[in-house]
Amino acid sequence: MSSLREKLSRLKGLSSGAEKEARPVEEAPAAPPALESSEPEDGGAALETAVQAAAAAISETTVQATSQLTDQAAAQATDQATDQANANADTPAVSGVAPDGFLHPAFKKLGIVEESNAFGAFLLRRIEYPLEHRHGIYPLGALVDYAACLKPVAYRQNQARLDSEGQERMTPRKKKKLSVKDAYRLPLPEPEDTGKEPGAIEPGRLLFFDTETTGLGVGVGNVPFMIGFGYYDEGRARIVVEQTLIRHQGEEKAMLQYLLERMNGRTHLVTYNGRTFDWPVLTSRFILNGWRPNGTEPYHLDFLHPSRALWRNTLESCKLSRIEAERLGIERHEDVPGSLAPELYVRYLNDGDASHLEGVYLHNEQDVLTLVTLAAHFGALLADDPANEIAVPQAAEELYRTAAWLELHGRTEKSERLFSELAKRGDAHAERWLLPAADRYKKLGRYEQAVELWERAARKAEDAVVPSIAAHVELAMHYEHRNRNYRLAADYAERALELTCRLPVFGRENPKRREERDALEHRLNRLRRKSERG
Amino acid sequence: MIKKRTLPELIAELRTNENIVNWYEMQPEEARTRPFPESVDSRITAALERRGIARLYTHQEEAYRLAAGGENIVAVTPTASGKTLCYNLPVLQAIAKDDTSRALYLFPTKALAQDQMSELNEIIKEMGIDIKSFTYDGDTSPTIRQIVRKAGHIVITNPDMLHSAILPHHTKWVSLFENLKYIVVDELHTYRGVFGSHVANVIRRLRRICRFYGSNPVFICTSATIANPKELAEQLTGSPMRLIDNNGAPRGRKHFVFYNPPIVNVPLNIRKSATVEVNHLAKEFLRNKIQTIVFARSRVRVEIILSHIQELVKNEIGSKSIRGYRGGYLPKQRREIERGLRDGEILGVVSTNALELGVDIGQLQVCVMTGYPGSIASTWQQAGRAGRRHGEALIIMVASSTPIDQYIVQNPEYFFDRTPESARINPENLIILVDHLRCAAYELPFKETEEFGPLDVTDILEYLQEERVLHRNGDTFYWANQSFPASEISLRSASQENVVIVDQSNVAAVKIIGEMDRFSAMTLLHDEAIYLHEGVQYQVEKLDWEHKKAYVREVDVEYYTDANLAVNLKVLEIDRTRSRGRTAVHYGDVAVNMIPTIFKKIKLTTFENIGSGPIHLPEEELHTSATWLELTEPDPELGTKTLEQLLLGIANVMQHIVPVLVMCDRNDIHVAAQIKAAQSGLPTIFIYDHYPGGIGLAEDVFKRFDEVKDAARRLIQKCPCKDGCPSCIGTEIEGIDGKRKSVQLLSLL
Repeated sequence: MSSLREKLSRLKGLSSGAEKEARPVEEAPAAPPALESSEPEDGGAALETAVQAAAAAISETTVQATSQLTDQAAAQATDQATDQANANADTPAVSGVAPDGFLHPAFKKLGIVEESNAFGAFLLRRIEYPLEHRHGIYPLGALVDYAACLKPVAYRQNQARLDSEGQERMTPRKKKKLSVKDAYRLPLPEPEDTGKEPGAIEPGRLLFFDTETTGLGVGVGNVPFMIGFGYYDEGRARIVVEQTLIRHQGEEKAMLQYLLERMNGRTHLVTYNGRTFDWPVLTSRFILNGWRPNGTEPYHLDFLHPSRALWRNTLESCKLSRIEAERLGIERHEDVPGSLAPELYVRYLNDGDASHLEGVYLHNEQDVLTLVTLAAHFGALLADDPANEIAVPQAAEELYRTAAWLELHGRTEKSERLFSELAKRGDAHAERWLLPAADRYKKLGRYEQAVELWERAARKAEDAVVPSIAAHVELAMHYEHRNRNYRLAADYAERALELTCRLPVFGRENPKRREERDALEHRLNRLRRKSERG
Repeated sequence: MIKKRTLPELIAELRTNENIVNWYEMQPEEARTRPFPESVDSRITAALERRGIARLYTHQEEAYRLAAGGENIVAVTPTASGKTLCYNLPVLQAIAKDDTSRALYLFPTKALAQDQMSELNEIIKEMGIDIKSFTYDGDTSPTIRQIVRKAGHIVITNPDMLHSAILPHHTKWVSLFENLKYIVVDELHTYRGVFGSHVANVIRRLRRICRFYGSNPVFICTSATIANPKELAEQLTGSPMRLIDNNGAPRGRKHFVFYNPPIVNVPLNIRKSATVEVNHLAKEFLRNKIQTIVFARSRVRVEIILSHIQELVKNEIGSKSIRGYRGGYLPKQRREIERGLRDGEILGVVSTNALELGVDIGQLQVCVMTGYPGSIASTWQQAGRAGRRHGEALIIMVASSTPIDQYIVQNPEYFFDRTPESARINPENLIILVDHLRCAAYELPFKETEEFGPLDVTDILEYLQEERVLHRNGDTFYWANQSFPASEISLRSASQENVVIVDQSNVAAVKIIGEMDRFSAMTLLHDEAIYLHEGVQYQVEKLDWEHKKAYVREVDVEYYTDANLAVNLKVLEIDRTRSRGRTAVHYGDVAVNMIPTIFKKIKLTTFENIGSGPIHLPEEELHTSATWLELTEPDPELGTKTLEQLLLGIANVMQHIVPVLVMCDRNDIHVAAQIKAAQSGLPTIFIYDHYPGGIGLAEDVFKRFDEVKDAARRLIQKCPCKDGCPSCIGTEIEGIDGKRKSVQLLSLL
């Protein structure tokens, strides 16, 4: 009888899953097509190049930033890294964990140190930036100027919790029998401690963060191996970026404890999609490491939502890298795409060569800095500062979305300025914003401005290949009910009817279109009767 | 108008039918009851009393007593004996006493889960206690899911959902896992073979997670009658069990009748088709408005019978009141049929064994089986569909001409006197075990010393580490892979990729009408195959094997199709051998290559072959375990040709007998004969598990080979035909004296 091992090796090629390619789960963002289709070997080569480029780029940043490393030390470290890499080629390392006190040269080069607490050790990289450091179109210090303006965004995102705050505190938590674990109930930031009203934003009480995980989706096997934090150190007037890394999962608890310490005294988690990805993943990790959620959520400031509100129709995607390049003036040179991070980490786990992770460190650091820039950007948009209109967008569609977004967040005056700016724009392109903007004026009872936009939309429609009759119908209604100009109303209704007949019909007519036409005919008959009588 | 006849009248008439070969009457039985135990919450007893339950049947009372006392139980009860109270009572009591208590119900299918929820919610409403019970399956909307996770007292789901949606996200279910008091496993007997082996591993994962959250739930299982309920429950849950089998429910009078269709060709022993006889019997009941269920053994057979019956009674009953029911129908359709049967709107249903399970369709009056369902347990399950607590019920089994059917009707004592079969699982099947270890490691890190079933799994964990699926640090193995393993593993079949059936009859409204597993699709959905769905014929225009889609169009033709599958076997390794004189029996690993070759068109009315065509599909390979019989010194006088015929004949008999003896689905085990096996050049008969890695069936055959051999010999001897017929060794072949020589050959082994 053959042994278990022999059977296993025979079954190897047959096992339904063991050797299958990793398959992204539903929630997964799609990997770039070039990488998706390439063979593992090609992917490997691409990674190698990316890593080398990133390594080159990183030494640049470390110099730029107020890093603990001098140029000389960096150069030395690079040499060591190369030696180590060569050595690794001959003797495969057994594990990523080095003996006590020994850190891989690639780690040393990045200024990484071992950090420990009651739950063990993990690796920490810390970089400080002066407030004048520019990341894109803003100096990082702009955060200090504009953070307070983010309050309405934060309020909208945490409304449910803020409104029920009083009751929440009253409900006594049921005592659980798991006494040991109770000791580690997840302490969430307590906004009341600040003595200010809930939802207030202070730059020093924001925790920017971004995780790099081993996989996709929010299943319990997806492990954040790196957490990048960013925060404003008021006393020293610095923006600090910290990056924690676990060399194996045994270090996770210590890293999570560090995250809790960083959260302590801070009010909001500032992320990009952190509300539905990073934080749920971390919540799982807390639970797996013995913590229990206390039923409340931390306050989120997730910039994915405002980014979508502003740029959904004007950028090809709302990925952070697109926004950086198109709107924030941030260029990434030879960046390792975030989607490669899981594979690079697994490589590191398998051969212990920390140089695989250099690109990941740099990528994560950039992400965290971009969050700071985004905070400044959205804050600046919301600021009531007529002198500072740097952020007013050029495209009419984006101008409309910005104006609507500002209005939604209670910035009426500024929004009003943008809306009147918008009315002046004579865009040659299809103006999607005309109707919603007119609709807004209608709701506000400012019919004159609404009519102006409807008329523009109606003119557009008449020239369009596939016309929409919405503006004509609005105008017909307006002239019938408010202006009692039945002749003009009938005129618009008739033109609308003409427009609907302009479209060819394929096979059976769309019942919706049929209804639309019936309604128009009905309206037209009524208007004709009325205008004869009047 | 002709006067409708009653069931007793029809039963009386049937008694004189010359084709009836055995009439078995089951006497009515009185109920045996006990009062509610004192500990039961008064709100529960009051609610039950309002529903007409004033006392408990003996088995219900015992189940409550043991489960409430913290013992794992398995209750064996026939259909309609109030088995749901066996688990609902202890569960509701636990929640009534402590609102934080939670329970998890597992049903083999979504349909059963939904049934259970509506029944449970009725009782809860009457109790006036705020107990929330929810189904959690693929149809549950995201908002409801959130509520179920946080506040559901009773979560009703199926093993597939547990495997792919709950366990890999257990951190979202903290309140369930921390407070889990009971795990209910209903329809335990369905968890056998490949599916059962998977589920046993899913339950190992479940218990592991419960341990992590500090709960130690009690298992309550219910099962139909099988030989080894206690053993199966213990294997499946990995926990010691107490058996409850003192059924106290009452029963009306039942008639269980064997019907053997008349012989139409005496020398060849060819009988009239069972399908035709079933059609006529069912017609007689249906036109008299007697609610009838007809069971058929395959999906195709269901559709054929359905269209025939609908045709026969179309002038008397609307075709909507006679329906088909089988896997592959969409859930909505099935719910509608179940409801129709319960409220009497649907008079007749033709079903595969899909309705063998506890789907609530009420109690019907007549059950007709087209052929022996394949196992004693299964037969009793199907028979249980007919029979009300009061009044008479009739069960007719119409024998087909297969060897085992003929064996059963000619030896009724084999059926009535024997204990039902055992249900077997092999959770240690390497492929299954490895797959679930991956899932388990994804869910929680593995300690080197940790147990996962009886096998030492350290070897496998190390193997997964080498494969870079796990990463080891110290004594712990951590998940270190980008994938989501549960999505790659299906509990139901060897392959997860089902073939989707797309109806493009109406170009403007192309729609999906069903799906089928990959192996079945090879022979049922090839190009030009006729696929029947709800009595409607479709022709497959294109089977897109790569994308797993079959494009079909509605047609109206006079035939159905039947495909041949060519099978090739190679021995990889011999594990055990028993040599005896001129034969040897081996057990070991084999590689099986399968490729569909041709299909035949068979006329619906006469079952004659009216044409054929090739099938072009890639070969599939399967590594599995097998038992094989070698003739080491074949009698040279027999001649190669004759010997080959004899082997094929014996293989035919074994293909029928083996699934009955080891209790598995016909598809789980296959038999093949070779006159010159590749490894030895010797005449050989292979019996192999139809699942990668094997699930222990062939091993069972190896251990009980003498039993298999004797049953085969008896079957051939007892067959009334002259010298071979489809009911035993296959059609007679002139001049080889096949029957006698087969028996002789088997006696020599």
